[in-house]
Amino acid sequence: MTLRLLLLSAVLLPWLTGCVNATVDQMVFNSPTAGIGDASVVILGRRHASDYETEPGFIRCVGGHIEARDPSIRVIDELEFLNALYPWFEPRTAPLRPTDLEKLFEHRDVAEKFAALQTRYMIWIDGSTVRGDSAGSMTCGIGPGGAGCFGFGTWSDDASYEATIWDFTQRAEVGRISATASGQSYMPAVVLPIPIIAPVQGTACDSVGDQLLEFLSHTP
Amino acid sequence: MSGSMTTAPERGHWLAALALVCLLAGCGTKQVVVESEFPDPVMNPLPLTLGIWYDDDFANHEFFDEASGRAESSWLVNTGQAQVELWHTLLRGMFRDVVFMNGKPGPGQMNPLVDAVLLPTVDELQYAIPAHTNVKVYEIWMRYRFQLVTLGGEPIAEWTMPAYGKTPTAFMQSDEGAVRLAAIVALRDAGAHFATTFTRVPQVEAWLNSLPRAGGQTQVTP
Repeated sequence: MTLRLLLLSAVLLPWLTGCVNATVDQMVFNSPTAGIGDASVVILGRRHASDYETEPGFIRCVGGHIEARDPSIRVIDELEFLNALYPWFEPRTAPLRPTDLEKLFEHRDVAEKFAALQTRYMIWIDGSTVRGDSAGSMTCGIGPGGAGCFGFGTWSDDASYEATIWDFTQRAEVGRISATASGQSYMPAVVLPIPIIAPVQGTACDSVGDQLLEFLSHTP
Repeated sequence: MSGSMTTAPERGHWLAALALVCLLAGCGTKQVVVESEFPDPVMNPLPLTLGIWYDDDFANHEFFDEASGRAESSWLVNTGQAQVELWHTLLRGMFRDVVFMNGKPGPGQMNPLVDAVLLPTVDELQYAIPAHTNVKVYEIWMRYRFQLVTLGGEPIAEWTMPAYGKTPTAFMQSDEGAVRLAAIVALRDAGAHFATTFTRVPQVEAWLNSLPRAGGQTQVTP
């Protein structure tokens, strides 16, 4: 009986997730006239704010989402790109406007690196996922007979990200996408805590990734 | 009976002892040894032969912060190895030739012939963790002091330079791991700051202009 309960829990637990609300806004200034062909895309996190930082994991998630759904699009890994062009894309030195790229390309070595990478679009993502209100309490104990928890906890997560697309050939911003997501997670505990997590960041990643994919895969 | 067999009360003692050890471990010194490889800078090297001298304090640089209360941990952050790795890689990419000095430049000190010698030092290092600031980022701040001197030890230029690195909190990441990452970001920032501002330091700029072969070919900044 106990074994059956454990097996049932093991099957059902991964499916227990909280609800997430997501909103996506897209504002494209300059739609591409064709797919990106052999060119590559780089997705970078903005890290200028003092009180938060765009998570490297989120950048990897968006890149992975695009590559998984359209293998013809080559997404350059963020760290690989930053290392290949060190020190010009560190938070202190990264270009803030597309027009700053002109100044950067005055360095012959930098221009050559860009040409080798065949980068067509640079996508800057700025934002983070933050923990909001939390409530409830949980007590855990350990004794000679075993250990366990009792109580209930709940918290909310809010994600807000904005992606800005720069076109290298035009040296211009060609699109902007913003996505917000929020969700409530729960953790009831009767001996064993059962986390029911709302995949807020994952939903924001899928939302941004889908919109970018639509932009990058565009064909006339 | 086998020695591995224990009764319930004995098991309870062991568990209590284990819990106590875990609690005590949480209040000990948190040690971070920063190790990383750094990328070669993408820039046109200055046509100079630069000498480097790292003193022991720099090459073995470490920062110790003693806990102010029983609930807090002391921190020991060792950046020496990463400092040497960063500056070695960066300077090799910034200058035509880089030579390590046999001793600190000064009158009577025998050293290879170079245009100037750079002596970096870490003046100050500060850190902040979410427990201190209630902000979900780990931060490292450093202030460097650079001296550029002749082989005889005469000063050419002296200036300070800040560097800053931060990393967000992440699931299953320890405080030590996050501080290590923040330190690596700060070191990369130091390299980026130095590489893009070196020729704009007024005393360095004046010195470069005084070199007959510089002739305006030494600009590396955007």
